[in-house]
Amino acid sequence: MSDTLIPSSPPAKPFKEEVSRGSAWQLAKYALVGLLFFVVLLALLGLVTANSAAGTRSTSAVDYATNTITLTLSSEPPQLNSTRSTDMVSGMVLGHVMEGLLRFGPDNNLIPGIAESWELDELGGTFRIRSDAYWSNGTQVTAHDFVFAWQTAVNPETASQYAFILFPIKNGQRINEGELPIEELGARALDDFTLEVELEQATPYFLKLLAFFTYYPINKEFYLSTGGRYGADAEDLIYNGPFRIASWVHGASVRLEKNEYYWNRDETKLDAIDFAYILNDANAVLNLFATRKIVFAGLNSENLDRALKNRWRIQEHVDGSVFFLELNHRPDRLTSNYNLRKALQLVHDPAELVYKVMKLPGNLPGESIFPVWLRGVHGSFRDEYPGPRFVQDEVKAREHLAMALDELGLDELPPLMFLTGDNPVSNKQSEYYQRLYKEKLGIEVKIDKQIFKQRLAKMTSGDFDIVAAGWGPDYDDVLTFGDLFASWNANNRGRYENPELDKHVAIAQSSSDPVERMEAMDQVQKILHDDVAILVQYERGSVYVSDSRVKGVSRRAVGTDPDYTRAYIVQEENE
Amino acid sequence: MSELSFKPVSLGADVEQRSRPSLSYWQDAWLRLQANKRAFVSLFVVVGMVLFAFVGPVFWRIDPHAQDLDQTSKPPWEDRRALIVAPYQPWSGVSASSPEGDYVAPRSLEIVGDATTTFVRLVWDPVPVASGYRIYRQIVEPQSGEPLGLPLGTVHDGSVSFEDRLDIRPRTYWYSVVALDERGEEFPEATTIEVEAVFATTVANAIERGYVSNPESLSVGSTIHVPLHPFGTDYLGRDMLARLMEGARISLFIGIVAPFLFVIAGVVYGSIAGFLGGNLDHVLMRFADFVIALPFLLFMILFKLLFGIGPGESGILPMLVALVLLSWPGAARLVRGEILKIREEGYVDASRLLGTHTSRLIMRHMIPNTMGVVLVTFTFAVPSAIFTEAFLSFIGMGVTAPTASWGSMCNDGIKTMESTPHELIFPALFISVTVLAFNLLGDGLRDALDARMRYGE
Repeated sequence: MSDTLIPSSPPAKPFKEEVSRGSAWQLAKYALVGLLFFVVLLALLGLVTANSAAGTRSTSAVDYATNTITLTLSSEPPQLNSTRSTDMVSGMVLGHVMEGLLRFGPDNNLIPGIAESWELDELGGTFRIRSDAYWSNGTQVTAHDFVFAWQTAVNPETASQYAFILFPIKNGQRINEGELPIEELGARALDDFTLEVELEQATPYFLKLLAFFTYYPINKEFYLSTGGRYGADAEDLIYNGPFRIASWVHGASVRLEKNEYYWNRDETKLDAIDFAYILNDANAVLNLFATRKIVFAGLNSENLDRALKNRWRIQEHVDGSVFFLELNHRPDRLTSNYNLRKALQLVHDPAELVYKVMKLPGNLPGESIFPVWLRGVHGSFRDEYPGPRFVQDEVKAREHLAMALDELGLDELPPLMFLTGDNPVSNKQSEYYQRLYKEKLGIEVKIDKQIFKQRLAKMTSGDFDIVAAGWGPDYDDVLTFGDLFASWNANNRGRYENPELDKHVAIAQSSSDPVERMEAMDQVQKILHDDVAILVQYERGSVYVSDSRVKGVSRRAVGTDPDYTRAYIVQEENE
Repeated sequence: MSELSFKPVSLGADVEQRSRPSLSYWQDAWLRLQANKRAFVSLFVVVGMVLFAFVGPVFWRIDPHAQDLDQTSKPPWEDRRALIVAPYQPWSGVSASSPEGDYVAPRSLEIVGDATTTFVRLVWDPVPVASGYRIYRQIVEPQSGEPLGLPLGTVHDGSVSFEDRLDIRPRTYWYSVVALDERGEEFPEATTIEVEAVFATTVANAIERGYVSNPESLSVGSTIHVPLHPFGTDYLGRDMLARLMEGARISLFIGIVAPFLFVIAGVVYGSIAGFLGGNLDHVLMRFADFVIALPFLLFMILFKLLFGIGPGESGILPMLVALVLLSWPGAARLVRGEILKIREEGYVDASRLLGTHTSRLIMRHMIPNTMGVVLVTFTFAVPSAIFTEAFLSFIGMGVTAPTASWGSMCNDGIKTMESTPHELIFPALFISVTVLAFNLLGDGLRDALDARMRYGE
């Protein structure tokens, strides 16, 4: 039967043998050629990568010969025009290549920067610019550079998100709102080396602001010569800080080299800082550290055990930020109901969040919007004015929820929108809250994960009920957190409005009596808690590993962090 | 030629001799599938997976979304004993003024109460000239002169105690205390204590979580066994088995419903094109080529917008629609080819000559003869659909929290791959086994259903 159907098929046996013997040889030949090809390819690839690596970057964490250290950046600076920068990476890079009137020293105290000396009274002051400060193109740093930078930052055309930090300067706010021309700004160059500043009102923390990057100077002539590209590339910047950007390969690396024009160049020990990788994956960064390719790596709860088993020296750093759940107080939102907010607060347990959910070492359970490190009248603000104490109470929470439903005229609460970021830590947190509110109060929560930019847009437009937000200090004073929920603050995304709170913020802004200011701030933290404006989650801290051969690195909550400007390399004995 | 040349045949039993019983096409296919060991085992795996997904929750009645924050990322083989402790009360700590004298290393480091996963409380003797103390925790025994591990915190102002509550797991820890000088720098000597932390829970928690069946027997200090999590728990203490079942429902739903719909669509479309032929066939098949070129992910996002799927809502429906609308051309092409071939077969012509109606022609001859191809296409489409779902959930386009799918579980597990591999291995294993089983089954079906293959054996 089969033969008739497939007449063409030849006798099976001899054919098969012939084929198998022939094909075995053929297969062996192919395999050999394939293997050879593969080996050659690998060798070529190795040659190519070795050449390119040797040509562009140092391949080890610490290079004694060129006095260079290698680091990673978590993201690329969008641009480095100091009047428009907002993110922490830009701030860190700018802090190495620029210098303001003042800067933070190794002990995190303010020290003279471009300003040699100054006189300050309640409503203004005069700054003496040093005569040996130069830009990296050889021109002198003058008082005009500061005036130009500050005018540019408050200019409404610049649309700087950080313009508000210049509002203590006279007319700053009104210029930014377009009511006055930029020349009216209360900062004038009396001559090349004398800068006179007028303040809007008494601002006790003004000196602390001067180390912030929006206050850095910009050389007007150079700025105009870039044709609007200032800060977009390494060639579109000149530098007055300890380092200059030698190369900036977008999306790949940033290399800083010592700035020979810097007035205090003798204090700069390193010849170069190579941000050789732009990398955000914590495990990948730790792998680079483990193979001694970089000198610094942050740790998270997932890769902490690896660092412990390797017996690396782990260090801790409190970065100063406070994280909180911001509730939406716009009248059309459910969360504008006090009893609902109270119910959410009564089941909120920051300790559980920090110790059991985030598990991130270094974090502290949040007690108040004012973090532990802030200074009060004499010592720590927290010691002088402890945060509001409260205990979780499920029964009371359900009573408040019932009252809220009654007031809202609802039988059941519609789902609440929980706006959050799209990173592992946010995911864990939002799933925890989703379950917490479902289990304890029966409230459905929908998680809205968004990238940072989109989240910011939604926060600003009020498209949320609860948002996981954080605030990092801009300057070293309680007010950097204290005025956050004032009705006029653009960063008050939940649009919390309370005249009582506004009053206390106004006192802290204008009073020069420290006790009065701190007491006003104490009232602020009480109001925020009692009226459930926000739910404080945690104070962010971090743990990291760093190469023991690099010394002199400063870490701080406010200002450039980490700061390598005074770092140096020590040779280890066994090397 | 005489009459005798012919002899009437007796209708005896030897006229038709059957060596084997007569088998229908499907019976034959079934037999040959059984003979194929790989495919047959895969069939059982597939059936088992369906039972696991849909019948499993009847027996394993644990809420896949219930979080037990005391038992996070717990591998299945971990010790299940739990010590009953009193509810947590804040601890005021111990203070002591620094004695006069010269610096000595901290002495008599001790734990207060039981060292449990709820907290570990340490006290030590005050050190002269110390301005504060820093406390470290290590998971391997620190050698002298080596780093002491994770810095837990710093205490000041005469406090000589520390309470650790940070993610304590039931294991051995080495706690160290170092004194700080007035500048906040560490003195070189450290005092280390070895602490064995035991898993602890409170009476209220044990009852709430259903750890025990007889709550009356619970008392502080007694030891109970917490229920088994056969596949461990995830990073929020959710039962992995329950989540895998939930994920299986999602994966199999997408994996079976989507291919079922688009294969049917493809069969209808392909038969029309193949049967009618000519210019219409041309136009139809060029349209199919066009659909193949459409990008899947883009359409998935567009459908998400079209259906008004807001943030925080499941993307399963748009995924299903996008899969069905964009994946049918493959099946349509195959079926069209088959139909074109069958159309020219002799038996079709014969049937046509006998006056068979077109609809009967299609139903009796065309469709059944393409069934083999269709079934094989279907079984090969299932794993690719499961994979698509897993991939989309992995990148966060599919299911939304708290719903679990194998893909989203992998995405969560990959972050803790090094410390708690079970969170990644189990969902990854389920994806791999299911996809492999469907592929092998498809392979076996192709062999079993293709009538011509048997002669080549």
